[in-house]
Amino acid sequence: MIALEGVSARRAPFALARVDLTWGPGVHSIVGGPDDGGRQLLALVAGDEPPRRGRVRALDGDPRDDRVRRRIARVDLEPPLPEALRVDEMLRVSAAIRGEPARPATERLGTLGLEALALRRISSLSRAEARGVALTEALTSTRSRVLLLVEPLVAVDGRAVARLPEAIRAKRTDGSVVLVATSSVRDATELAQDHLFLHRGSVVARADSLEQLAIAALCQKDLVVVVDNVASARSWVTSFSRLALADRVEQEGRVVRVRGRDALALARAAALAAGQAGVNPIELRWDAPSLAEALGASRAISADENQREIAARRTADANAHGGSSPGGGL
Amino acid sequence: MIGALVFVAWTRFLRTPRAWLAALAWWAIALAVAVLSHREGTLHGADRSLLGTYGGLALPLLSYSIAGGVWGVGGVARSIAPVVALGAPPAWAAAATIAVCGAACAIQGALLGATVAVIAHGLSDPPRIHDGLVTAYVGGLGGLAYAGWFSLGASFGRRGGGRTAALVINWALGPWAESTAVVTPLGHVQNMLGGVPPLGISERASAIALLAMAGVFGWAAAMRARSAPRSIGDRRRSVI
Repeated sequence: MIALEGVSARRAPFALARVDLTWGPGVHSIVGGPDDGGRQLLALVAGDEPPRRGRVRALDGDPRDDRVRRRIARVDLEPPLPEALRVDEMLRVSAAIRGEPARPATERLGTLGLEALALRRISSLSRAEARGVALTEALTSTRSRVLLLVEPLVAVDGRAVARLPEAIRAKRTDGSVVLVATSSVRDATELAQDHLFLHRGSVVARADSLEQLAIAALCQKDLVVVVDNVASARSWVTSFSRLALADRVEQEGRVVRVRGRDALALARAAALAAGQAGVNPIELRWDAPSLAEALGASRAISADENQREIAARRTADANAHGGSSPGGGL
Repeated sequence: MIGALVFVAWTRFLRTPRAWLAALAWWAIALAVAVLSHREGTLHGADRSLLGTYGGLALPLLSYSIAGGVWGVGGVARSIAPVVALGAPPAWAAAATIAVCGAACAIQGALLGATVAVIAHGLSDPPRIHDGLVTAYVGGLGGLAYAGWFSLGASFGRRGGGRTAALVINWALGPWAESTAVVTPLGHVQNMLGGVPPLGISERASAIALLAMAGVFGWAAAMRARSAPRSIGDRRRSVI
């Protein structure tokens, strides 16, 4: 549904060079900091920015084509909204422009729990409320098939935040493609099914899941253990420390965070420590790596893949030359 | 979709009190001068009021205020950005806004012109009703041309500052210089109100020129909107 074919684009401080990317239906994340080019990549897909070279396709058409643009919804950090209108009027106008039947504003706003904003003037909305309204418009549009969301869980009305992940994931089922640009690995893993890592405009790696990063053991994992009181936490830490598996153990009140390279060993040790200390953990979860850690891991994955590819090519070359001495041609 | 785009522009105009207050001020000034002129018992009271205050000052400034209300403080790019983000073609969004601006300027220009002509009527002026109708016709055409003129101006500058430049250019090239006045709405409005004709052209030619200005300047503003940044946060363009 979205394809970038040999696309080059440049906008200080980032530059994309001959990028080939495709995304099908589902929720996909583009992970990177504000200057890494995630927002600009979305602008290219939305047709708001022309590529320097190459071709961008969305919904089998040029995203700058008006018929295609009506089916693309882009919600940036500061979405432009018609400030003179009320929220319900804006939703009516958006339905008319997109060519979909108008529905009651409260019904649409109810998706994210923002019904109370229906009669408010947009100029009176806070930034978080305005983003909530823009996200509502994008997520409840029946015509939009491409949703381009920048940091959807950041600076959004508190009422909407709790419902957003479910509403975004629900778009998987109707055949839409949702691209989420975020600098939060946690948000990316919560919302998306695969991840593209960008660093200063370069595609560093693609990962199908956070597990791919973790299993590669190139990124240290944080295990978070929550127990019912501080004393239990201390007992648990004492037992866990005896096992000497973690690189780092941090306790803050009832919450203990341990870091190590072997995820499976960490989990086993945590369970063992709980048994030895007689503590019943309330919560045991993996924390997402930070952006820097994830980028480091994804780069390492790419390097590893490249090494494997080079090795495979050399083996193939060696086989092709038939019976040459081991290491020949190196 | 056109209806929705017109609705957005019209609502922005109606809900911008700053524009209404400014428009009311120019109405008040034009009417006050007309009343004073009538009280003085001048033989050509309507002529003086229309050529001086109405044509030279009130009509351009009234249209300038209305254009400011319709386009908003950010000019063409910023005012159409919300509907363009929803998928509206930029040229259509701009054209709908220009249409609203044209209608508002033409109606207000015509009404103000007719009111001034009727109030300031002097003994040697043409019959009151006839004079009012003719002035309404001139004011309507003038308002329409000014709508195109200021819309094109609003397409220049990061925050639509070109609208103010258009006002200054209108006065600078207007009736004070006979040859350059031919490219400004002011020169043709003054000609139709009985002032000095730019390059000696007829009133009929000036009427056609005002209509042409409305069309050409409005079309140019809509075309410029096509290349405007599509997101208000994205001012910098890709380096080609």
